Parts: sequence; C-alpha cells; structure tokens
Amino acid sequence: MNLWQRTLLIVGVPLAAITAAVLHQPAKPEPAPYHLTKIAADGKTLPPWAGPWSCVCDRTTGLLWEVKTDDEGIHDGLWTYSWYRAGAAGFHTAARTNLAEPLPEAGVPDNGDCYFEKTRCDTEDLIRRTNRQTLCGENNWRLPTSVELASLIYPLAKAGQAKIDTDYFPHTKHGDYWTADEGDTLQNVYRHLQTGAEAISFIEGEKFTIPHRNAAFVRLVSADSKSCH
Amino acid sequence: MPPSHSSRQKSPLWVLTHSAAVFAVLISLLTGLRIATLSQPALMQIEELLPQGEVHQFHFFSALMLSFIALGFVVHRLRIPSPTGTPFRRWPGWHRAIIRAGYPLLAVAIISGWLLFSGANLRQVHLACAFGVLLYLFLHGGLYGIRWGRQALVATLVPQLSRTSLVAGVVVIGLGPLLVSLGWVNLRQQSHFTLTVNAIPLRIPIHIDGEGSEPPWQSARTLYIFTDGGANFDNGATEVELRALHNREEFYLQARWRDADESLAHLPLVKSAHGWEVQQHGFHQFNETRHYEDKFAVLLSPDCDFAAAGTAHLGRKPLKNAPANWHGKGYHYSDDGQLHDLWHWKAVRTNDMYLADDNYISSPDIPRPGARRYTAGYQQDGKESGAYVMNWQWYRPGAITPKRLPLDPAQLAVYQQAQTDRESRPQWVASWFDYQPYSAEADNNYAEGTAMPSVIYNSNRFEGDRADVRARAQWRDGYWTLEMARKLVTGSSLDVPIHDGICLWVSAFDRAQIAHTRHTRAIRLELQQ
Repeated sequence: MNLWQRTLLIVGVPLAAITAAVLHQPAKPEPAPYHLTKIAADGKTLPPWAGPWSCVCDRTTGLLWEVKTDDEGIHDGLWTYSWYRAGAAGFHTAARTNLAEPLPEAGVPDNGDCYFEKTRCDTEDLIRRTNRQTLCGENNWRLPTSVELASLIYPLAKAGQAKIDTDYFPHTKHGDYWTADEGDTLQNVYRHLQTGAEAISFIEGEKFTIPHRNAAFVRLVSADSKSCH
Repeated sequence: MPPSHSSRQKSPLWVLTHSAAVFAVLISLLTGLRIATLSQPALMQIEELLPQGEVHQFHFFSALMLSFIALGFVVHRLRIPSPTGTPFRRWPGWHRAIIRAGYPLLAVAIISGWLLFSGANLRQVHLACAFGVLLYLFLHGGLYGIRWGRQALVATLVPQLSRTSLVAGVVVIGLGPLLVSLGWVNLRQQSHFTLTVNAIPLRIPIHIDGEGSEPPWQSARTLYIFTDGGANFDNGATEVELRALHNREEFYLQARWRDADESLAHLPLVKSAHGWEVQQHGFHQFNETRHYEDKFAVLLSPDCDFAAAGTAHLGRKPLKNAPANWHGKGYHYSDDGQLHDLWHWKAVRTNDMYLADDNYISSPDIPRPGARRYTAGYQQDGKESGAYVMNWQWYRPGAITPKRLPLDPAQLAVYQQAQTDRESRPQWVASWFDYQPYSAEADNNYAEGTAMPSVIYNSNRFEGDRADVRARAQWRDGYWTLEMARKLVTGSSLDVPIHDGICLWVSAFDRAQIAHTRHTRAIRLELQQ
C-alpha cells in the first residue's frame, strides 16, 4: 500500500463507521406474535400495543373474553356477583351442544355488589346486560366452563399479580371467578348448603366449589364470536 | 521513528507495556463513551459502535490497568531517562511532540477518572480528556500507520530479543497481572463509603414526616454523596446528605438533596382543540424529562459491587433474548439471580400515601408481548389492593380520553392558577371519589387550555408487600428532605433484610422519569449495637 492508500484506510474506515452509525439508527421495538388479540368495543381488532380494548380473542381456543374495566360501568372489575341461573325458556347449558336443554332455575339471585343494578347483582344480570349491549359485536355472552376459564391461567405472571396475563386482562382481582359448572357437592363448613358452583381463584389458579350465595367475580366468554373466527 | 529496521524494534518490555496500554486505553474509551451516553444524549448517535452491558466493571478494570502501566512508566523514566530524548529547547519532530502532548493528557484523564470515581464533580473534565485521547490515538497511532504502514505494526508488536530484555519482559508478564488483580480485588472490596447507622432506643419515636427534626437525627453522622448524570439538576448533579438510624426493629433513612424546584406537575392533562392531551417530552419513549414529578430511589443489596451492585447494564439491547429499550440507556437486572431491594419515593404518586414504592431488581423478566415497555429485572413487589391510577383510558401521544372528570369543574381552578403563578403549588393528585367517570356531556364543561391532574389515588395507600416502606418528604428552600422507614427484616421474599455490612446506593430524579443521578462507589451500612 502506498501513502495515499494507507491514509484512506486509516482515516476513511473510522469515518465510515461513525457516519454509518449516525445514519443508521436502531429499529424501534416491535411486538412479538402472540395468541391473544385485543378487540375494541365495536369488534375491530387492535394492534398489541394499542388500546383501549373491551375483549380479548384467544386464538388457541377460539374464545372471545370480556375485559374488565375500572370505569364503574357494567364491566368494572370490582363488581361481584352471586351465582344465579334464571331458568327461563331458552337458557341452555354452557357447553356447545345440540342436545342442550333449558335448565331449571338454580343458585342465589342478587347477592353480589355492583353499581349498575337497583338491587344487588348476580351472574344473570351481567350476562343479560352484556348481551343487550352487544359487547364487541356479540350477543351470546355466557359464563365460561371451568375448562375454558382455566385456559386463562398464566403461571408466568409477575410476583404478586393475579395469575393471568394482566397486559391483556387488566383489573383482574386476587379472588374467585365463577364458572358455569354447578351442582357439585359442597364440603366442610359449606356442607349444609348441599351444592354450589365451581370457581377459579386467580391468586394461584386453583379450582374450588363454593356456595351460589358467595359474591365472586365474573369474566364472560363468547364461543362463536365473529371477531375471533 | 528511526530509519533502520533493527533500530525500530523495541524491547519485549516496551512491546508488552505498550500493547497493554493500547488495550486498556481502547477498553476505557469505548466503555467510558457508553457510560457517557447516560448524561450526553448526543453520544447516542454512535451508540451502535459502543459496547453494551455491564460496562462499568470493564471501565474500572481497564482504568486500573492503565494506572499501573502509567505508574510503572513514570518509575521507569525516573530511573532511566529516555535514550532518544530530545532537549525541550529543540523541536523534537511531529511524532515526538504528539507523544509528549499525550503524556499530560493521559495523566489528566487517569487522575480525573479516579477523582470522579471517588466522588468529585469532574465528569466534564474526564469526558473532555476522553475526546482528547481519541484525537491523540489518531494523531499518534494513525500518523505512524500512515507514514510507515505495516512497518509500524512490526515495530510495536515484534520485540528485539536479548537476554536482559527477555528477563525484564518475563518479570512484567508475571508481576503485572498479579499487581492488577490484587489492585482490582482491593478496589472492589475497599472502595465503599461507610454510613454509620446509630442505634436508638425503641421508645424514641421517629415520625416519618419529612421534617427530620427528632433529636437522634441531629446526632447521626452525616454522609455526603456527590451524585451526577441526572436530568435538570444544575449540571445534572446534586449532593445528597444521608443519615441513618435503627432501633433493632426498624431502619430509618434521612436523605436531603438540593433541587431548585419542587416538581409536582406530573404528566398533566391539558385540553386542546383536539381533546385532552398528556403534557410530555419523552414519555412516549419512557424517558420523560420535563413534565414529571421529582423522585428519589434507594437500592439496597448484600452485593456491594460497582454500578448499583452490578445491576446497571447499559445500552439499547444488553440482553440478547429480550426486547430493546426505547431510550437506549439500558436496564437494571441481576446476572446471578441475586435480589436487590429498590425503594422508589415519588413526590406525587406516593408522597401523600406516606409511602415509597417498594420495588426490587432481580433476574430479567421474560418478554411479555402485551407490554410495550420491558423493564428487565426492575419489578414491583406485589400488592393486595390500593394504588394510584393514571387519568387516561389509554395513553397515546395526542388526544386521550380521561378516565374521570371532577365532580365540579371548580375543582380545577387551582391548577389553572399554577400555570401562571409559580408560587402556587397545588397537589397534582386527585381523589377517586372527588371525580366521576368520564362522559362527553361532562367534558363540555371544560374550556380549551384547562389543566387537570393525571394522578388519581383510588385508595389512601398500597396494601401488601409493596407498602413495606414508609416515606414522606417535604420541599423547602430549594431542598427536599425525605424520611424513610422499613422493618429491618420484613419476612418478604422480595425484600432484602437490613443488617451490618449490606450496601446501598441513592439516586435523585429532578422531574425525570429515568434520568437519575448516580454515584459509583457503594455505601456500606455500619449498624451500631
């Protein structure tokens, strides 16, 4: 190499590296693919880091889930409900089957706490109002089965947080959430009440049978949603 | 450089020390410039050329190595003057002039670095030296390379062997690493500050009120820590006065630091023609430096290593399998699973709860696809209930929809006054029950230009692990005085038990989200019995 070539190498390479570093700025972080998708109140899909959203579609199960709020509306995460089934004609088992029959009245009405009913609240109140509202474009909201609700348990939740992906399901409480499965025999101190319904605690993701009269939280599900299929 | 090949060759001792010096200077420069990106945002332009991760350790180690080499060189020159020396009266030639200019430059760089390490306000001098050394490297090494090309490399890397020079080289190879290693161990173990924690009887109450007026505080020994590298403080620096007490049940810490302004307008909402907007200048990148509350952080750890117990990992993506951060400054996390406690007092969000946010730093969290901000090892202790919430349904730059509006628009009058009257210092925090859920109808009551707090307390305190640290501060005459208290042993797996010998670090934030001041050397607690 002659003098000029060496000059070009020793001056040019560092200058080129610095110029390239200045011109090429690092790419901004991008969300990774995930099985949960945010759905807006009108049923439209939102990007992972957008909001607000009212429902979440789980692509692995095909279920659309209600998202809780802190707006004191009917979906507020603080409201609790007693487990109640009105037993009116047309009320079917939670599981999707053509053989489903109207079920008799069961449970305890109006024993939870909410702002949106004149009386106190039960699961039937939230289902009725959510379907009337056509949340996320759906009118087939119902209580999830315990298998369905257990699919939301997220063992990798941060320390001290509810065992659910709180980035998608905010306002989830450390407490019991009702499922549609009922009729199991109660144990121990509740034995005299005979039967209750299953609930899943999102403290540790455990399943319990508790009396219908208990005030527990609710997260509704829709199995045949347009936005999740 | 002399003309003949044999006379250009150096002794093994020269080749070894010169190579080691080049290596140490390069490591110091690269790691030092990465450290400087924390306080010199312009340097982020070349961030991709700089190393990432736990760079402080490498910076201090290379500085130690360079210092030993410099010391050895000085001793050597005192004993044996340079054989090629030219009297100072005569022009020695360009190359030798550059080398001579390099000696004081490197000396000032080394000395200012150690003074900065020990707590002196010399960061700008040290940075200027770094740029000077960069120029020196180019003029010295670059011009040699241009003039002599490959011969320059041969001359600096291939020694001229003789029996005596070989012996000297072997001695240096044997003793050099040993000396540097001993120095490094000593530096890591002995360079901490000591904060004496006076014991007081259980019957003497210490009120956590930000006054610091109880008699035991007056007799507590004060430790003054220079911290710098933050945003907004004068030159990004503030001195922190620390005092500590314990009563065998609880540990009390008092911190006092200079901050010209009491910053309480935390991301305020202002109504524009497009709706309510969050006042921000960097918040979208999680690096707000204008519309933010003042804060103070205390890190407690059984590990006394440099750079916040070795948790400071600089750069945009110091973790290979985790998301990059938005601001390029870095992450706090623990490499070895060690838990470090982090108390985070916030002038708006926790001060009126009489609490500090009890957080911790541990192993990096898993990436969470739904979270736009990844915080690596920095996490919050769990809480049963109670918190503050931000008054927007979803944050975005531009117009947002508030969660809640005041029950009475007159509640906001005090904030409008604060925009024009600097003496007016309202509490920029709202109570949940003084506000109502947002409605477009209620929103019509607010004119353009209306300011509203964005922090809402939905209870008067956290409950659970996150509420383990009581804290209260008051700002008066340009100083914050903060008092904190926590049980010596909480029993929580997310808290570090406080005992003799554990270390702490402190950081002050002047209306900045993450741009905090810092100090290098740990503060070791000495609990008196």
